[in-house]
Amino acid sequence: MFGSIKIAMVLIALAGAGGGFIYVKNLQADLATSEANNLKLEQSVESQKAVIKQQADDFKAILIANQELEKTNKTLAAEFDALDKRFNKINGRGEVRDLGDLAVKRTKPIERVINSATKKAMRCVEIAMGAELTEKERTATKKSEINSECPSIANPSYVPYD
Amino acid sequence: MIKNTILILLLAVVVSGCSSVRELKIFETEVPREKLNLPHPEAAKMEPLQWVIITSENAEEVFAKLKEQGKDPVLFGLSDKDYEFLSKNFAQIRAYMIKQRQVIDQYKDYYENEETDK
Repeated sequence: MFGSIKIAMVLIALAGAGGGFIYVKNLQADLATSEANNLKLEQSVESQKAVIKQQADDFKAILIANQELEKTNKTLAAEFDALDKRFNKINGRGEVRDLGDLAVKRTKPIERVINSATKKAMRCVEIAMGAELTEKERTATKKSEINSECPSIANPSYVPYD
Repeated sequence: MIKNTILILLLAVVVSGCSSVRELKIFETEVPREKLNLPHPEAAKMEPLQWVIITSENAEEVFAKLKEQGKDPVLFGLSDKDYEFLSKNFAQIRAYMIKQRQVIDQYKDYYENEETDK
């Protein structure tokens, strides 16, 4: 009888120890999982911060690109208007310039003017295609030195003045 | 009987603590797309053009000069208004080329800039 109780107590003690061992093992596993999860969360927060920064940088870059395009559009529109005004300039008598009439009256000078303008316009096309600027074009600052057809791309040192 | 029971219990405890199935790890490595890096086409050299203004007054002189230079006595004409339109069309094509080039440069800078590629 006494022997059986002893055996039962030993069994209970062993079962308790076994249960405790398994419980501790599980706790350790849970702890390891929690630590790994924490690490992943920290990494996730860091990568989210990086993504947010990248997005902010991208928006900034897009804004700058749009502003530069807008600036180019305005400059080119102004150059086109200048060309239009050259053809339709109002003279001292309040009349619109008539290129045909001028060409009849002053044939040679007008021929020289349009040939000069055409040469400049051709050079503008070359520059628009990516041709290197010459030293003379790069350093031009006076109206008499610039390519009046496209100073914005041909003469970077030129600041328009009246 | 009791010995066997104890043995089984111990074995169960030991075996349960020796599970050796490892967690499967999958690595995902992003391989960046190759840069396109197409160069801009080479700028063409424009051929020189010579405009000749011909009026009823100077027509004979102009054709005589052409003959003198060994050129065919023929001219392809434009009225003053058409010359104006041609100049404006030319300016618009040029402006379009400039804008297009800038857009390409901006795209290249945005998508292929070393600093932003991480």
